[in-house]
Amino acid sequence: MIHDLVKYLSNPRNQDAVVHLLLVHIRLALVPLLIGLLAALPIGWAAQRYRRVRALVLGASNVLYTVPSLALFVILPSIIGTRILDELNVVVALALYTAALLVRPVVDALDALPAHVLAAATAVGYRPVRRFLTVELPLAVPVLAAGVRVASVSNISLVSVGALIGVGGLGQLFTEGFQNAYNPPIVVGIALTLALALVVDLLLVAGRSLLTPWQGQRAGRRRLVGAA
Amino acid sequence: MIEFRAVTKRFPDGTTAVDKLSLTAESGRITVLVGPSGCGKTTSLRMINRMIDPTDGTIFIDDLDVRTTDPAVLRRGIGYVIQQAGLFPHRTVLDNVATVPLLIGWGRRKARARAAELLEVVGLPAAMGARYPAQLSGGQQQRVGVARALAADPPVLLMDEPFSAVDPVVREGLQDELLRLQSELGKTVVFVTHDIDEAIKLGDTVAVLREGGRLAQFAPPDQLLAEPADDFVSSFVGRDRGYRRLSFVGSDGLAIHPLRTVALGEPAPPLDEWALAVDGAGRPRGWLPPSSTVDGPLTEDALRPGGSLYTKGGSLRGALDAALSSPSGYGVAVDQAGALVGGVVAGEVLALLRSHRDDS
Amino acid sequence: MIFSELADWLTDPANWTGDGGLLQRVAEHLRYTVIAVLGAAVVAVPLGLAVGHSGRGGTVVVGLANAMRALPTLGVITLLSLQLGILRVGPVLLGLGILAVPPILAGSYAGVQSVDRAVVDAAAGVGMTSWQRLWRVEVPIAMPLLLGGLRGAVLQVVATGTVAAYVGLGGLGRPLLDGLRVTDYPRVAGAAVVVAVLAVLLDLVLAAVQRQIVPRGLRLASRTVSGVA
Repeated sequence: MIHDLVKYLSNPRNQDAVVHLLLVHIRLALVPLLIGLLAALPIGWAAQRYRRVRALVLGASNVLYTVPSLALFVILPSIIGTRILDELNVVVALALYTAALLVRPVVDALDALPAHVLAAATAVGYRPVRRFLTVELPLAVPVLAAGVRVASVSNISLVSVGALIGVGGLGQLFTEGFQNAYNPPIVVGIALTLALALVVDLLLVAGRSLLTPWQGQRAGRRRLVGAA
Repeated sequence: MIEFRAVTKRFPDGTTAVDKLSLTAESGRITVLVGPSGCGKTTSLRMINRMIDPTDGTIFIDDLDVRTTDPAVLRRGIGYVIQQAGLFPHRTVLDNVATVPLLIGWGRRKARARAAELLEVVGLPAAMGARYPAQLSGGQQQRVGVARALAADPPVLLMDEPFSAVDPVVREGLQDELLRLQSELGKTVVFVTHDIDEAIKLGDTVAVLREGGRLAQFAPPDQLLAEPADDFVSSFVGRDRGYRRLSFVGSDGLAIHPLRTVALGEPAPPLDEWALAVDGAGRPRGWLPPSSTVDGPLTEDALRPGGSLYTKGGSLRGALDAALSSPSGYGVAVDQAGALVGGVVAGEVLALLRSHRDDS
Repeated sequence: MIFSELADWLTDPANWTGDGGLLQRVAEHLRYTVIAVLGAAVVAVPLGLAVGHSGRGGTVVVGLANAMRALPTLGVITLLSLQLGILRVGPVLLGLGILAVPPILAGSYAGVQSVDRAVVDAAAGVGMTSWQRLWRVEVPIAMPLLLGGLRGAVLQVVATGTVAAYVGLGGLGRPLLDGLRVTDYPRVAGAAVVVAVLAVLLDLVLAAVQRQIVPRGLRLASRTVSGVA
């Protein structure tokens, strides 16, 4: 097995192919992540503020999130006029997905903001938009970061499933390997997917720490019941 | 009774929470552990029912080392009330109270019947049994917590700051309830609080603990106020301890003077002295200042509000406060039903005190 | 492809009945889902409960769950199929099971951890043994999050169950992939719609079940608590 793996990886054509697929995968998974987050922020803000919007938005995002992404890849073309395998199609589908997933954490994060902090910010003289950007958003980062981490792993995995219908990315290594009854590409694909997910997660954690310098490392251990 | 014998608790991080504590909580009495935060009072309490085990020393309940009993079994024989009540949110109030009887094997019917009895004992309507804890107020939840602790009729009751999380008015009501319950049930109660006034009000004996878990003084509240063992205790007990001590001095021998009265609803001629207005049942409603002219029948608008009321037979503190807070200089004394008995004078309270001191 | 073609395809009974029809595919798809989720639950629920109850090993378990989330299901299934042979259900069920474990594990663990510490303290204080505390108090209160985890797992497995068709088995991936191969887009879209509807229906059913199982006292408790971070 190891021998086959080494042979596969030392072939420069394979190396090029793998790198190319990795880059496509990164693009297809992370661009929608960013777009989805940017879309979820104003939607979530509106939902948190206005009761009727809230019920509507949470309901819609629930349904959207329930629809399997493969189904979305396939049905979306009829609605927005792309073809199934267009990169734009995949990006739009995953952006919708990410937005649907992140709306809830945005609402939860804004809900959890202490009222007295917001009152103080308004009393100091911040107008709503500036208050949102400079006070509410930074304080919402921890909860948001948790949601974004879940969404990133989810997207990375969804792009790989997309290979079933021909979507690019590391998933193609699985289909290629399977069709040729050849293990190495599959193993490389699994390893790279794991590595990608790990690196993105670490970057997100680092980003969260950067954006919240006021939060130290908390052990957060709960008190255990004593004897038995 | 509960005996602490040189009990010490040291935590792995090096802090000593309790340092060689020795005291005895008498059976049928309320023993209060009080002190600033970090004094080990909660830790000490939790060692009684083995929620925590001591590093050194032994705790005995009725001469039996608590460590010789299985913790779960031990705790079923001890009532335990905590600050946030800790009611099980997924069970009804009735089932919460029935917890221990069910645990020790009573049938469901018997356990629930007993639970219903206890709801009455703690002053809650029977209908509350079908509700869930989330639907109750803080004070009501605390009462359910007490009922749950009493359900299996344990001889010992442990209470860890049970009234600290409710507002002062509710807290006073709960304290009075506890005293009433204790007079009926006579449990061995160990009560933890950070509030010295609560300790003095509730305790038969009070243990003052200092930071680091050392016992500063263990005495009845009266003695704590009269003879604090050191500067720490004296400053912890706080100001006005001379005055507060008067709660423990009886008022036998205090003269009660007849008071000039006027009746509400009848015309009141101007007088040259203060007059107390009473209603149809003889209850005081306020003072009429000297030389007031009243048109027609006397109403409450013409009155000055009175001070606190002193119940005849109560403590000297009640008498003194009534006299000091009254606009006329006479403290109003009433009987158990609230009807006027007479007036008391501040100077005579002090004279009575002096004669007590001369006698002893 | 226009919606009318899709509608025609979906309303044609020939596509539903018979060998290889949608009804059969739905049944297969459900079968894979149920087995994978139940198998995952058998492993993940006790593990999550045990770790949550004892309070130890939480970080390890959460880390493990997160790592499993990152495993690509298609990769796992193709690799296992190559080793064990195609047309065998094992690799698919294992791959889908691995997918289902993280949400169920996270749900059980978070559920037990979510129990108010005062309630745990009281449960010990009234004299419950560790076991009694777990089953009479912690598990009932953990139900909402535990069931939430199960719901999430079912959703993910239904969505990803289409991979079974790739390695030669049945399920709703069959019409999806077959349709792609012969560019029969109404069939592809039809299969996609059925998967989506199936997922939504299952979620609704599970939501109703969740409402039934969760004790009334808990629903009241979560409604009265407001603004808790």
